[in-house]
Amino acid sequence: MSNSALEVKGLSKSYGEKSVLKDLSFSAALNDFSVICGKPGNGKSVLVRTIMGLEEIDSGQIIVRDQDVTNANSGSRNIGYIPQSFALYPHFSVRENIEYPLDLINATKEEKVEAVARVSELLKIADLLEKKPVQLSGGQKQRVAIARGLSKSTDVYVLDDPLVGLDFKLRERLIDDLRQTQEKLKVAFVYVTSDPLEALQLAKTVLILADGKIVQQSNLNEVYDNPSHLSSMATLGFPEVNVFSGEMNGSTFSSSVFKVGTDIKSDYKGAIAGIRPEGVLIGSQPGSITIDAKLTLMENLGSEFVAYLDVKGVQISTVVSRTDLVGIKLLESKDLKISIKAEAITLFDAISKKKIGKGVSLV
Amino acid sequence: MSIATTMTPSRKKGPISLLTMLCWSTAILFFLPIAWIIATALKPKNTVLDIPPKFFFMPTFQNLLDAINFSNTLAYFVHSLIYSFTSVFLAIFVSFLAAYSFSRFKPAGTEFLMFLLLSTRFVPAAAFVIPFFQLFNLLQLKDSFLGLIIFYTMFSIPFSVWILKGFIDGVSTKFDETGMVYGATRSHIMFKVILPQVRSGLVAAFVFNIIFVWNEFLFNFQLGGLKTYGIPVGLFTSITKGGQVDWSFVASIGTLYVLPLALVIFFFQKYLLVGLTFGTVRGEV
Repeated sequence: MSNSALEVKGLSKSYGEKSVLKDLSFSAALNDFSVICGKPGNGKSVLVRTIMGLEEIDSGQIIVRDQDVTNANSGSRNIGYIPQSFALYPHFSVRENIEYPLDLINATKEEKVEAVARVSELLKIADLLEKKPVQLSGGQKQRVAIARGLSKSTDVYVLDDPLVGLDFKLRERLIDDLRQTQEKLKVAFVYVTSDPLEALQLAKTVLILADGKIVQQSNLNEVYDNPSHLSSMATLGFPEVNVFSGEMNGSTFSSSVFKVGTDIKSDYKGAIAGIRPEGVLIGSQPGSITIDAKLTLMENLGSEFVAYLDVKGVQISTVVSRTDLVGIKLLESKDLKISIKAEAITLFDAISKKKIGKGVSLV
Repeated sequence: MSIATTMTPSRKKGPISLLTMLCWSTAILFFLPIAWIIATALKPKNTVLDIPPKFFFMPTFQNLLDAINFSNTLAYFVHSLIYSFTSVFLAIFVSFLAAYSFSRFKPAGTEFLMFLLLSTRFVPAAAFVIPFFQLFNLLQLKDSFLGLIIFYTMFSIPFSVWILKGFIDGVSTKFDETGMVYGATRSHIMFKVILPQVRSGLVAAFVFNIIFVWNEFLFNFQLGGLKTYGIPVGLFTSITKGGQVDWSFVASIGTLYVLPLALVIFFFQKYLLVGLTFGTVRGEV
């Protein structure tokens, strides 16, 4: 038996002319927290629905614990499911909601008592068991929904953006709970989200979903530091990546804003340079590309500021720490200089959006 | 703050009182015929036709007892109960299945099918009487409970489907899908997950249809017979006694006739508003 708890091979799904999933493949391992992160409209919900058997697929295979379940009905796939909306049955108490998946497999009373005790302790909802969903707050409802999803013992759980719409503090608490829960249970969590911060906080393994495909799957740091696709860089990170269109002349990338020497040997005509906001520094730094910029907007995030700058008609963003007094002082002047280290630049093919190289030197 | 809280009610008090009085007056005006029937049923026989009418009198239950004991009254009452309640329960069961299918599977042309369903109620009842009379004769369903139950079930289904579809549309498909993922069958989802959430709709559909079937006269008269006549027909055929109208008897039967329906409506009136809006104000209940 392989370590793969869930494997999707060549999955395709279209609605009429519109192709939503295109030959999509990935695998999720046991004892791993896999986060599928993609921008809205990239097919995340359809992917979840196909995995759960709620949507028929056009082609491909879905394998759970080495068993092909492509044509199996939803209920027999034995995948734990936590839906995006709580979908708690309003006419059931919290206890009955949690017991519901167990009732359907004719679990004994003892098994149900044991499962309710286990998940209610895990998610700290023991005092809510006799309440009806209508009596719960949003956060409590989500905890109950998670508890219900976990009540049936299995080793693969699919969580469909379960924290969407919850307030910030609550999300932070639930993120902690989810991480701890996965570590305690040592099962496969496949978590689907469009929120890059959730992905960064939760993932051991990140899968970037873009244009109906998984364009990169690797551990969190690898995806963040070495994005193999422009969408990986654009999806995973906040604020959004800075993008410059340009072209290659030999090993030099030229855009309307800057030129940089690269490690590219092959000939690529169109290329895109991606620079994370933290790669753009305020002020003139030695050994960096220095560009004139105009401050257009400052956002205060508490511990840091996000500065939006206009560089020859291209808008870029950078992050300045509240403790960076020099940077903040420089931002007081609307016209300033910014610096970009050559190594902070990643280059992608303009058509395939795949990584083709990195910046290495000033030109 | 305290000024605002004390002033607000006093500012509103005048117009609200006037409006309330107007509402009560209108309600009483509408209730007057029923009150008159009940009062007549409780009046001693010799004071019923007094002019001016007596508003204060010693109530008597003798008229009601006489009406109950009169030949077929009790039988008519039982007949009404049998065909009304059975057909409406059946109609609601069938309508729930249909409404669930329309709501969840959305077969091609759902909207047109829903229109067709209700269109059966557009045609005046009189236009159906003769064809149904012939059909029931042919099928030997005339003067049988089976025939009346089939007829009233069929007549109650369209409106019930409309009401229930509105309610089921309001229940997210996420509930169905969550159940399916956990291994529930479709029938389990329908009856254990969705049905309890559209209880208001079921009651609303029940109330509307029971009012219709309980009051229905024409088809009961044409398709029924001595073995199946309900109270409306019973009242019509017994209205004259000894060559003249016995108003005490009419009022007593009327009172008995209104009573079950009045109780149903009194206890479930909050669902009527919900039903009238096809579930859109479901949350108010």
